[in-house]
Amino acid sequence: MTEAEPAFSICHESAAPIACPRRMNASKALEKTLVASPERKLEADADLVVVRRVQGGDVAAFDQLVAKYRERVVGIVYNMTSNREDAADLAQDAFIKAFQSIHRFQGQASFFTWLYRIAVNSTMSHLRKNRLRSFFSLEGIRGDDPVARDVIEALTDKTGAGRSAFISELQEKLNDAMQKLSINHRTVVTLFEIDGLSHQEIAEVMDCSVGTVRSRLHYAKQLLQAELQPYLRP
Amino acid sequence: MKQDTNRKITVEDLLSLKRAERPPVEFWASFDSELRAKQLAAIVAKRSLWDGLPRIFAAVGRHHLPFGAVAALALTWAGIHYAGGSLDGVHAVSLAPTARAVARVSVPAAPAAQAAGQPALPRVIQVAAPEAAPAPVAAAASRVSEATPAALPEAPARNQFSDVVAVTLADFRATQPELARREIFGSDREFETAVESMRQPAVEPLSRLDPVSDDRRSRLLAGGLPAYASSSPASYASERVRERVSNDRMYESMDPYESSNSRMSLEIRF
Repeated sequence: MTEAEPAFSICHESAAPIACPRRMNASKALEKTLVASPERKLEADADLVVVRRVQGGDVAAFDQLVAKYRERVVGIVYNMTSNREDAADLAQDAFIKAFQSIHRFQGQASFFTWLYRIAVNSTMSHLRKNRLRSFFSLEGIRGDDPVARDVIEALTDKTGAGRSAFISELQEKLNDAMQKLSINHRTVVTLFEIDGLSHQEIAEVMDCSVGTVRSRLHYAKQLLQAELQPYLRP
Repeated sequence: MKQDTNRKITVEDLLSLKRAERPPVEFWASFDSELRAKQLAAIVAKRSLWDGLPRIFAAVGRHHLPFGAVAALALTWAGIHYAGGSLDGVHAVSLAPTARAVARVSVPAAPAAQAAGQPALPRVIQVAAPEAAPAPVAAAASRVSEATPAALPEAPARNQFSDVVAVTLADFRATQPELARREIFGSDREFETAVESMRQPAVEPLSRLDPVSDDRRSRLLAGGLPAYASSSPASYASERVRERVSNDRMYESMDPYESSNSRMSLEIRF
């Protein structure tokens, strides 16, 4: 809750973000991203209205932001930690930090990116402090996801015999392969493959260049391919 | 197990399973309640003082050049102010009793000096104020004020220091007369008289030498004169010189070539 996070302290939006050239470059990159995707632009504008209400003293308006982003934030943290309890705690901490620092948010970046950065930095700091601890927990796979359903049907018998055991085994293998990645590579894979962020957004969230994001993603996929080779079909 | 072998499975497909993972509904209920409690605690809890340090450092980092310049100016001003003001302050404090006891009266310089064309130096006469200071202090102050007027502008710091020492010594003598007797400390002029008595009048360095005796003169001159010239067979060294000179004379008297008057015979031996 009150742990020191230098990355968060450095990267979060302050009163005068123009003074930081890296942040300015990231904001420009975000503007390009928002222009490229009108949905994100609309989403950012809607969030900014709610944020202004919170900044004006309407504390209850922050619940809208929590309800909107809690699943995505918990999903990111869970895929980075592979632990449900840690994911819940870290996601709550991220929301609390965002709530405490929301008066410094000026809308030059989208609230979604700002919140992601807080959550990712909190999770990365937590993982660095607890490198040796690995208590995995499995979540249920949502059946209405068409891609996941196709993959499961392709890998298991059409009759459904032994499907749940195979899914559990595959989930363990996936968690194990993800935990073998470094924190940065795992974060990139989580943000790109699982949460669907673009390279530009990942670069802004992780405060690095797009080339670094692409390089990390390529390397992480190679490692995952080697780890999950028995489950792959070329 | 019969599988759909026609479908291609990639890493991205496997990671889509992670995307489909969702916690149960009861998880969100507990998540919301815990988040609400933490949020209320964050509102109620007073933030520590050091939470604002990153903002302070960020502000300093943005304006590091003006802050640095202001800090340098402040340090310079403080250094000049306290370095220059401290001496004045100490001087003012140390001389405060004296300043109260001594009144300075400036009188014009001697008319003779003005007539001689020399610059007129103000003559400072310090007069003790008996109603404001104790008697020993006033006496010491009056004694210190006997300095010549020409020395005052040359070494003001030294005079100030000597003033302080003199006043302190007089004060000590007034308060502790049994410890300030002449047997213990002596007089401040006693050292000068003692040194004056030890001084010798300046004399010619050669006149301070003792006259050389005849014995010593003969001994010194023995090395420079032939032995036969010496009139007195005095010392051992002169005897040896005499012996050596006698042998030389003896060899000189011999003719190694046995030469006669006009012929010389040369004998060669193998």
